[in-house]
Amino acid sequence: MSEAHSQPALTARQAGLVGCHSCGRVHEMGTTHCTRCGVVLHSRMPGSLQKVWAWLFAGMVVYIPANIYPMLLTTSLGHTSESTIIGGVIELVEYGSIGVALIVFVASVLIPVGKFVAIGYLALVVRPGSRMTRGSGLHGRQRLFEVVEFIGRWSMIDVFVVAILSALVQLDFAATINPGIAAVSFSLSVAFTMLAAQSFDPRLIWDAEETQAA
Amino acid sequence: MSTQTPAEMQIDAPKRSFWRNLSVIWLVPVVAIVVSLGIAWQSFAARGVIVQITFENAAGVTPGETSIRFRDVVIGAVEDVSFSPDLTEVVVTAAIDRDVADTLPEDARFWVVQPEVSARGITGLSTVLSGVYIEASFKPEPGAGARSFTGSTSGPLVRDGQQGTRITMRTREANRVSEGAPILFRGIEVGHIEEPRLILSGESVVFDAFIEAPHDRRLTTATRFWDTSGFSVSFGASGLSLNVGNLAALVTGGIAFDTVFSGGEPLNPGYVFDLFPDEASARQSLFRSVGANAVEMSIEFDGSVNGLEVGAAVQYRGLRVGEVRAIGAVLAEDADSPQVRLLTTVALDPQAIGLPAEAGEDRLLEFLEDAVAQGLRARLATSSLFSAALVIELAELSADEVAPAEIARRENGMAILPSIPSDLPDFTATAEGVLERINSLPVEELMNQAIRVMASIELVVSSEGTRAAPDAALALIEDIRGLVGGEDAQALPGELRSGLAELRGVIAELRLREAMDRLLEVVESVDTVAANTATASAEFPALVEDLRALVDRASGVEVEELAAAATRVLNSADSLIGSDGMRDLPPALSSALTEVQQVLATLREGDAVENVNRTLASARSAADSVAQAMESLPALSQRLDRLVGQADALIASYGARSDFNTEAMQVMREFRDTARAVTQLARAIERNPNSLLIGR
Repeated sequence: MSEAHSQPALTARQAGLVGCHSCGRVHEMGTTHCTRCGVVLHSRMPGSLQKVWAWLFAGMVVYIPANIYPMLLTTSLGHTSESTIIGGVIELVEYGSIGVALIVFVASVLIPVGKFVAIGYLALVVRPGSRMTRGSGLHGRQRLFEVVEFIGRWSMIDVFVVAILSALVQLDFAATINPGIAAVSFSLSVAFTMLAAQSFDPRLIWDAEETQAA
Repeated sequence: MSTQTPAEMQIDAPKRSFWRNLSVIWLVPVVAIVVSLGIAWQSFAARGVIVQITFENAAGVTPGETSIRFRDVVIGAVEDVSFSPDLTEVVVTAAIDRDVADTLPEDARFWVVQPEVSARGITGLSTVLSGVYIEASFKPEPGAGARSFTGSTSGPLVRDGQQGTRITMRTREANRVSEGAPILFRGIEVGHIEEPRLILSGESVVFDAFIEAPHDRRLTTATRFWDTSGFSVSFGASGLSLNVGNLAALVTGGIAFDTVFSGGEPLNPGYVFDLFPDEASARQSLFRSVGANAVEMSIEFDGSVNGLEVGAAVQYRGLRVGEVRAIGAVLAEDADSPQVRLLTTVALDPQAIGLPAEAGEDRLLEFLEDAVAQGLRARLATSSLFSAALVIELAELSADEVAPAEIARRENGMAILPSIPSDLPDFTATAEGVLERINSLPVEELMNQAIRVMASIELVVSSEGTRAAPDAALALIEDIRGLVGGEDAQALPGELRSGLAELRGVIAELRLREAMDRLLEVVESVDTVAANTATASAEFPALVEDLRALVDRASGVEVEELAAAATRVLNSADSLIGSDGMRDLPPALSSALTEVQQVLATLREGDAVENVNRTLASARSAADSVAQAMESLPALSQRLDRLVGQADALIASYGARSDFNTEAMQVMREFRDTARAVTQLARAIERNPNSLLIGR
């Protein structure tokens, strides 16, 4: 990010314009509906931060049981074993499958937690009156938001694995795999964080420059 | 002028309330929290109550995996396995479902279920795959809520709540019953034995047993238990019998029971059953316990009571009515010399005799007094054919047979039942006698005699004289045939017959003397040669038949007589055949025949009619010769008469059949048969001396 980019940029609001968040067409400020696609126009999405916080909070709440309760219920020859996410990772490491353990760990622990942190950070810094404003970091924030939005869906790997295993391994007495409570919790958690990321209005990032300038 | 301007209006955007500002989205985290808390609560509630069970060892118990079951339903799981502080026990910490844990009583039983293979089958097979589990057994008591238990090594044989009756049994030795052994009722398993244990004094073993409902209804005081483990072999009047019980009972031991008579009373708590070694003794024990109102009385015996034991039966008309309680000796101060008398104390059950159950001593004595007056006496009897054991029999004899007696009283007031001496057959002595008699049979002698007879016969037959006889006889017969075939002879018969009649007259005279008697027979035989050859030849087999009949009869007669007779016969035969006379007989006969031949030759030569007188003279001389020949058998005794007659028949046979060899062979064969019959007899006797005793 060069200094050339970091010079104060004119936002659409400053220019008296409002862009359609659906199709991107620019209108005069005061236009209520998009002349092209008919969506209600907002210069900034109302209540965006509030929604972000709500989804984020919900996602964090359900992430707790997702880690405490078993993800997989493996019944083999009448012998049931339960494995949580972290327990499964440790088990995999013990078996020597470091690679798989790493994938599971990244997908199930690192990414969700990272998302919580990233979304929380973004939501904090774009808050009006926030002191954590550094003009030079606005592009970084934008980049962070894009990464979070992109990577969020990959957390579902774990859930897919559980769903596929549960569907395939139903050999009655010999071996049966069932999803645990954690599977539901985890998928909810991923969904909530994705919603949180979606609720975030990236245009808020640039408002910080405005306040900085003022 | 000052223009009053209105004060600057402070226009604020209406303060939007915090709540109106609040987005509906916030419901989502609220719901998430509620759901999460709900799940947390649920798992907390489901976590159960922690209890601790101490085991000696915790084979196969794994924390987090081993479940705890009650009636095969999982009620909890093992959380932790650790040691007691002094390392002597294993403490299993388990979480039990809350609602179940609240009803756990102090005496709840926990044990580890493992696969087990025993004689009674395979149990706990499911644990092979699923791993062991801990089974609980208790009677739920709401609000009991015990938290600490002592585990047992094996499950109780009776689950709590199982219907049935627990009884106690007593036995002398427990080496044939083991814990878990089945209790059988007519072969069906209706209960188990629990662990046998010694009573404090160490004299016997008691053990509890559980009879399942509804079979426990059969238990009364009349129920008898006996050991069915293993197999039993018994030998008695009905033969050899082998009883093999249930296979499981064979291995683990087993107990069977039956209610042996009706009218038992319901069990009282603390009633202890005796375990009998076998069914027979269990059934016989019938009167031992009902002898509660048995009346004791004494019986004095004069002779030995060897074989009578305490517990032996007292029988009345074959029915067991009591038992011997004691046997002892008393010194009876008779008139002059002290005398030892054997005093037997018996207990008689009035009920067994047929008196009403409530009949007491008086009623029984009354009955016995009457019976004694009628001739009832006690006497000793053998209990069975093969045993020396004795029982006391209350025999009913007719009053005339026995000296009158009555029930006396001893000094202590005990009634004394009159007894009579019994004629006990001494079985062993009898058996010995039988064996002795069999032993003393002169079988060897008999065999030797037979061998000697055979040797003698061989000697006779192989002697040259005997061999010469057929030739001479054949020549004679040839001559006779020639004579008879001649024309003169054809005309002769009438004359000859009259001549013979005369000869007969002459011979009748001769018959006055002994030698002439024999001569007559010979001549008569010669007569019958012409007249009835077939009959003559048939006579010989008759002889053999006679001999055979003799043998048959011999085998039928009593042993000693037979032996003696056989010996006698053989002796006679031996002496007969071995006698010089017999040996001399063939040559003598030969010469006699030669004479006859000469006569016949003369007859043929001369004119028959003219030469009748000469013939008769010749015949007379022939007869003389024959007589001479006969007289040359001086050693023949009177008994030989018949034999000579039969020898005549033999000669006749010689005349009747041209082929002497056949006859001789037949004779030999018959002799051989005879000898064989004798041998067979001897062998039969040797093999089966019984047949002599029992007839066949």
